[in-house]
Amino acid sequence: MEKKYGVYICKGCGIGEAVDVEKVIAGASSGGKLPKEQFKVHDALCSPEGVAMINAGIKNEGVNAFNIVACSQRAKVEEFDFPGCVVARTNIRELVAWSQPPMEDSTSQLATDYAIMGIIKTQKGDLPEPGILEDLNKTVLVIGGGFTGLSSAIEAAKAGYDVVLVEKEAELGGWAAKIFKASPMSYPFEGLVDSPVFAKIKEAGANPKIKIYKSTTIQKIDGQPGLYDVTLKTAGGEEAVKAGAIVLAAGWKPYDAARLTHLGYGLPNVVTSVEFEEMAKKNNGRITRPSDGKEAGKVAFIQCAGSRDPEHLPYCSHFCCSTSLKQAKYVRDANPDALAMIFYKDIRTPGQTELFYKNMQNDPGVMLTKSEVKAITEAPQGNLYVEAENTLLGEKVKALADLVVLAVGIVPATAGPQQYLDGLAAAAGKGDEAKAKYIEETPKPDFLLNLGYKQGPEIPSMEGAFGFADSNFLCFQYETRRTGIYAAGCVRQPMTMAEAQEDAAGASMKAIQVIEHVAKGIAVHPRAWDITYPDPMMTRCTSCKRCTEECPFGAIDEDAKGTPFYKINRCRRCGTCMGACPERIVSFKDYHVDMVGSMIKSVDVPEEGMRIICLACENDAYAALDTVGIRRKQKLNPAVRILPVRCLGSTNLVWVADAFSRGIDGLMLLGCKYGEDYQCHFIKGSELANYRFSKVQETLDRLQLEADRCKMVQVGIDDYSRLPEIIDDFVKNIEDKLGPNPFKGF
Amino acid sequence: MSERILNPDLGFVKDVINAGGESLKKCYQCATCSVVCNVSPDDSPFPRKEMVQAQWGLKDELFRNPDIWLCHQCSDCTANCPRGAKPGEVLNAIRKMSIEEFSVSRFMARIVNQPVFLLLLFAVPVAILLAFVAGQGFLGGNIPLQDGKIEYGKFLFSLKYIDPLFSIVALLALASLGIGISKYWKAMYSGLPAGSTPKMGLGAAITDTIKDILAHNRFKKCEVTKARSTAHMLVFYSFIGLFITTILAFGKVILEPQTGYLAYLGHPVEISESLLTGLIIVYKIIGNISAVALIAGILLVMANRMNNAKKAGLGSYYDWLFISIVAGLGITGLLAELLRLANTPVAYPIYIVHLSFVFFLFAYAPFSKMAHMFYRGTAMVFGKMTGRI
Repeated sequence: MEKKYGVYICKGCGIGEAVDVEKVIAGASSGGKLPKEQFKVHDALCSPEGVAMINAGIKNEGVNAFNIVACSQRAKVEEFDFPGCVVARTNIRELVAWSQPPMEDSTSQLATDYAIMGIIKTQKGDLPEPGILEDLNKTVLVIGGGFTGLSSAIEAAKAGYDVVLVEKEAELGGWAAKIFKASPMSYPFEGLVDSPVFAKIKEAGANPKIKIYKSTTIQKIDGQPGLYDVTLKTAGGEEAVKAGAIVLAAGWKPYDAARLTHLGYGLPNVVTSVEFEEMAKKNNGRITRPSDGKEAGKVAFIQCAGSRDPEHLPYCSHFCCSTSLKQAKYVRDANPDALAMIFYKDIRTPGQTELFYKNMQNDPGVMLTKSEVKAITEAPQGNLYVEAENTLLGEKVKALADLVVLAVGIVPATAGPQQYLDGLAAAAGKGDEAKAKYIEETPKPDFLLNLGYKQGPEIPSMEGAFGFADSNFLCFQYETRRTGIYAAGCVRQPMTMAEAQEDAAGASMKAIQVIEHVAKGIAVHPRAWDITYPDPMMTRCTSCKRCTEECPFGAIDEDAKGTPFYKINRCRRCGTCMGACPERIVSFKDYHVDMVGSMIKSVDVPEEGMRIICLACENDAYAALDTVGIRRKQKLNPAVRILPVRCLGSTNLVWVADAFSRGIDGLMLLGCKYGEDYQCHFIKGSELANYRFSKVQETLDRLQLEADRCKMVQVGIDDYSRLPEIIDDFVKNIEDKLGPNPFKGF
Repeated sequence: MSERILNPDLGFVKDVINAGGESLKKCYQCATCSVVCNVSPDDSPFPRKEMVQAQWGLKDELFRNPDIWLCHQCSDCTANCPRGAKPGEVLNAIRKMSIEEFSVSRFMARIVNQPVFLLLLFAVPVAILLAFVAGQGFLGGNIPLQDGKIEYGKFLFSLKYIDPLFSIVALLALASLGIGISKYWKAMYSGLPAGSTPKMGLGAAITDTIKDILAHNRFKKCEVTKARSTAHMLVFYSFIGLFITTILAFGKVILEPQTGYLAYLGHPVEISESLLTGLIIVYKIIGNISAVALIAGILLVMANRMNNAKKAGLGSYYDWLFISIVAGLGITGLLAELLRLANTPVAYPIYIVHLSFVFFLFAYAPFSKMAHMFYRGTAMVFGKMTGRI
């Protein structure tokens, strides 16, 4: 495309009062090598008149690559939408006019540097075109025919999509079909109800859009969103189906009660909540003791049996409290003189389930106490003593029960495969022999997905996720580290049926979104507008496979020769591959190594005073910096030039060399928190940047440049009030302790 | 604390609920009640622990606990309870049940606290008194007058009818109360940890308790029902006033030169006319003031209960029976006096009604809320001896 450049500068929102626009035009014109005539100024560029001015430039002068020097790229997205043009946004409102002293030379210099960077973006950038693959499929594959899977299938079918529902057992329904009764799911949350799963089974069975496979598992999944080739292992053999997206609703297993011997498991009248459920169902509500068939009159429920316990499951399984309250009702309904004693750590009945708790608590025969149950021991006649400490009834108490129910926690179906694969990776790290030994000695659990991905066959494990397929507890529900595969229900986190039903709908919507987005060549979360995609210049690829290994989403496989092969529909467009590539061959049309490097190199380095480059993650850090401007209470350090990056993971180490060889005094990276409590929108991006930076500091040491000239700081979107100080401290440390970059002036 | 074996009693839980503690099961043990209570000690404060004990039906632990009576039902707990569990009402129900538990006979206690037996309980004194009246042939209305005026002494001569009846009733009641209190004391004692030593002597504890009661020291700490302390004080002191009146009046009827008991029994004593007149004036003043104070006090009690019903709960049959008896006693007493002065024959039936109220109060004292003063006093003495308060 032949480009005709333009620069449109806005003077509104206080920019005109803070920045000497004439100086900016003069500086940017020479620095950006653009004649002054191509700079246009408007008092309110986002007004209809301002937009009309830009459109007139496009129409009359043929301007098609231009830099809008105005507010943050996060503002006025709709006003400044010019299809067919290469548009750069330069932020001199939040980052300059609103956070710098007005009309100072340093303020105008800052605006000038930013304007030049924007011009470089228009010069180095190209018009993106969506990458749309052929033969896309729109079927949703739902793995798991339990309550969540059925709900998900029904929701997707209702939205008009074909569904393939796969259930490994001979019958649909999962755990929900094995319970005697269900807790109430609607107001007034009083009586027990029949399991709602049977209505779902009926509904799914009657829906022609849902194809159900029972006694079936997944043999293999190849491909990418829109193009999954799924091989099913059915009772009769194999069957191939195609799918566009996947909902993983593989559910849970009860925690292995055999490990709960301290709670008496193994004694004849100590059962798990799952076994109790089976007993109640078998006897149609009659509660009898396994040892002698005697009707149970004093049933003790032990909450958090093996949950919230560092020795067993460290987490709360979320629904056991309501399950025990429900089972207490079985006891009370079966015999009005029977007692249900509940020993809890905390009663946790989330959401409206609280009302069910209140109703059950109101029953005189349901007795509750907070306590730490220390032991369950045998008492005469097959009875049991519950020995508890720190109860509401006293320091140490003993209660006699004729039946004890352990409310066991849940283990997600993903935990087993993850544990096995992590163990395998660790063994492989020790050598081929250790790996072979591991494979021989470790029982292989049933895999759920069997993905044909280079990075492995299952959803990778995550720190602090305890085997659940959850990407983040807070912001990115249903997302996994495999684009197009969305987790719902208890495989994602422990939840009640009411919650699982909503979860299923949410995950189905996500599946539909990815199907529709890949059909248009648009990315999904968190860049669900982005039509660019990584376009590596494969002729220069050395097959080092760093991109393949580092991609947080396993988007890069290998072809037959071992060369990286980009499956763009799996890509989230974070640019981690671009940051990883030592050959710097990975580019997006509007974002590449040379573009950002040139922007860094364009910064005017003064002989006196500091000049610092700050690469800020667009998702959190850059938004927090905008907020500093919007609040107008604090100033940003005028020595610092801030460049937004898609993710710190896209930071290529060559930029460090670009900066320091130009005489930049310091380089700061602002990115999201990583680790167990991570906030990185691309899960691993900031962690990888930190890893790379730890390596670059060795390089800096060799260059006799102090390691302290580089720093990565983890910030959240809510850290805006701390940010100016964090930046000032970094600048001051370099100024006071390290002095100017010795390469300055070379 | 050593390991205890819990003995949950579902029947007891239901009893508490039926006895006025219907909100019991709403408690979820947040302990707001114990925090807001001004009369509770800092160490293992009530009423939180009593609430969970009651939810688990731990009857013995509740009944041997001095704390259930150290509570004055200020209702600060009830007003501040986030779940509407009304600990004040629940403890009140438990107190009622503990009176039933310790009193002799329990059969009587159960009857007294059940509304269906109310008429029967009233019928007892009415029948006895009417028998007295009929025995003298007064039922037709030909009742002798004194100088043309109504004189209750001519209607029911106290030495012959009233004094023996009420003395027997009072003695029986006192005996029953004594047994009940001693059972409670033993129960409290059994709940003490082994090796405890008294923090205060019995005498000092009793003196201290009386001082506290006279000054209403604990009652005054209430916040939500602050006004109750004034109302209770009026009733309490008017009872003392009426007690003094009774003693003095009793003195008069013994000593009177012509009509006194001693004269009647043939042993008249010499007593100066002015002393006797002085005595009469003093007790009439005390009596009338007390009667007015009693009526004012009990009406205030009622008004307070009504006003605080939303925050503190309205109370149960157990409370309102006692309040009504006291109110009836005061009102009919005053009426009997006024009607006598008005010299109208309606005075006689009113007098019978008044005497029936008095009978009710005394005879059923060990089983009704009247007993609260004895049980609470005992708990306070015990609490002081053990350092609980």
